[in-house]
Amino acid sequence: MNQEIYLVGLNHKTAGVDIRERFALTDCDPAATGLVIDNGVVSEAMILSTCNRVEFLVVGSEEADMRAKILRFWADQCGQPSGDLEGHTYCHVGDDAVNHLFTVASSLDSMILGEPQILGQLKTAYRNAVEKGVAKVIVNRLLHKAFSTAKRVRTETAIASSAVSISYAAVELARKIFNDLTNHRALLIGAGEMAELAATHLLSSGVRDITVVNRTLAKGEELARQFKGRAMPFEELHQALLETDIVISSTGSPTAIIRAKDMKDVLRKRRHKPIFFIDIAVPRDIDPDINGLDNVYLYDIDDLKEVVEENLAGRMQEAQKARGIVAEEVTAFMRWRDGLALQPTIVALLDQGECIARKELRKSIKQLGPNPDPQMVAILERLAKSLCHKIYHEPISYLKRRSLEEGSAQRFIHNARRMFNLDEEAIPEDAHLDRKVQTGSK
Amino acid sequence: MTASRLFELIIALLYLSGSVSYPLGLVLRRAFLKRLAAWTSAAAFGLHTVDLALRSLELGAANLQHGQFYMSLMAWFFVLIFFVLWWRLKHDFLSMITAPLALILFSSSLAVRTQVLAVPEQFSVLWFSLHVGTIFVSLALIAMAFGAGVAYLHLERLIKTKAKLPGFSKELPSLETFDRANHWAVSIGFPLYTISLLAGFLWASFTWKKVISWDPKELISIVTWILFALLFHQRMVLGWRGRKPAKTAIILFILCLVSLVGVNFLLPSHHSFRQ
Repeated sequence: MNQEIYLVGLNHKTAGVDIRERFALTDCDPAATGLVIDNGVVSEAMILSTCNRVEFLVVGSEEADMRAKILRFWADQCGQPSGDLEGHTYCHVGDDAVNHLFTVASSLDSMILGEPQILGQLKTAYRNAVEKGVAKVIVNRLLHKAFSTAKRVRTETAIASSAVSISYAAVELARKIFNDLTNHRALLIGAGEMAELAATHLLSSGVRDITVVNRTLAKGEELARQFKGRAMPFEELHQALLETDIVISSTGSPTAIIRAKDMKDVLRKRRHKPIFFIDIAVPRDIDPDINGLDNVYLYDIDDLKEVVEENLAGRMQEAQKARGIVAEEVTAFMRWRDGLALQPTIVALLDQGECIARKELRKSIKQLGPNPDPQMVAILERLAKSLCHKIYHEPISYLKRRSLEEGSAQRFIHNARRMFNLDEEAIPEDAHLDRKVQTGSK
Repeated sequence: MTASRLFELIIALLYLSGSVSYPLGLVLRRAFLKRLAAWTSAAAFGLHTVDLALRSLELGAANLQHGQFYMSLMAWFFVLIFFVLWWRLKHDFLSMITAPLALILFSSSLAVRTQVLAVPEQFSVLWFSLHVGTIFVSLALIAMAFGAGVAYLHLERLIKTKAKLPGFSKELPSLETFDRANHWAVSIGFPLYTISLLAGFLWASFTWKKVISWDPKELISIVTWILFALLFHQRMVLGWRGRKPAKTAIILFILCLVSLVGVNFLLPSHHSFRQ
């Protein structure tokens, strides 16, 4: 049965934050939940779930209706009707899937073009898949190639030379609100990679200091030390809001932690000093109504998307170059994968030949009598083996040549398998994979 | 054309160049056009100062009977206040409003050149300078607050609605800068406006033996003062910032314009420039 690579998912371009909130899969084990069953329909899987995208990378049988199967599984996991996913998801197959994955890894599909954060998230997702045992030959190779492609893009183009990120956009906005950041203090609510990045950006842009408020004070203190700031317990959040002007929130709280009605009181006590909220949490931490108050500015993760678009214009050219690199790498990967399909075919062909040779050799040795001459046996053995190798040599080199041509590899291998009736023979799937591993790790 | 006429024309042309080249520099994103605007405004201001000085030397106290002198002096104060704010706020954005206002006031001063005012006999230079000087400075500050207020509301709307900030807005200074212009206008302008009104009423009480003569200018000035006082109180005591002060400053400026254009030119009043 032929294996195909599928990539099904949604991202910030196809789905709004409410859909992404509902269909986030932060901790999902494809093995335990039955997505990967050892029946050949789905043999490998990796799930990437960030605040901007949820994607399934699946290697499975060509025949099954993979898209519908994944969408059903996904909706079940989230306890949501699968109909809500319709119209928000995409499904890429084969080289399109590989291309999409490489594009994502190179942060060409990120909300902010060139933001390298996705690479870390992808590495985490891959590590999870490896630990759960659902990443095998193809996913392994695919992810390693995705990482090296991302590295090439980073070093060979200027796409990531300057910080283009949510945090960069946030700092730019803060500059539109406040004249001089050195007179203002920032507050970090909750921890998280993106929030810490934003805090780092603010510090390097000259913000006076950083206060950290976290549910677990110890973690907050640790973070505060990192930024040479101070930590405050979560209960004193309102006090912290009185003393700071730029607030970055990224807690895992399922409900809003700052509400519009609490904010009115805070504003009075602040004597209406402007305050800028950056809500990068999904689900959102800050009541959206807060933006309606005077001197309060709120940007959530989707709003920041709008802001950065203008910064992107200059990076389009770099992105074009990067897409060229991605295309090269996709071609290289697909050639490897097609060769991978050729490899087991060659192995199966040689196995078949040796099997016939051994059978015929046994018959011939029997005819030599009870005590055959060892020298004679050795000669016969050599004869049988070299015959089979010589016979299979031409078809194999023909297949190898053909498989270098684009698109025709699959067809010729398919024909060869039928011609030699290779699939009648039960070759255990594990044996295939072992050989693929050997080829892949070369 | 006499030499003084030519001189006035040059000043007007320089203000015109300043009014045109700054917005042009913003839209076309040419720094040199903005520098040109600053230099022509400065040159206009220098010549304007010379013009006023020459005129004062030539006519002496008789100057005070010319409508032209008042308008010209007001234009001069506007530009002066702009340069002070520019120095304090480190932003040239207010020249968007300064140069055009100076141009309008200066040109209208040329338009009323033949007007001679009926200045009351018991004219006191001290009271007069307190009355006219302070009102001109506070009017200039209100005009700045108006410009800053319009820019604030525009930028604030862009930020609040999360609109994509176009290249033009990228050049805009921060909201805080505009709010600070409002703060300056209110904290300095209101006391000056108050002094001006008090001086006017005191002068009136000496001259006409009555504090208020129900002159339209007096009425509209009292309304303006009440609104200004409200803004001053809310800003200084309650800590108003941002939108509300910006909007109030815009209304204040409109009231001042009504008072300036409507009363001084159209209605019968002892403030009128009409014969």
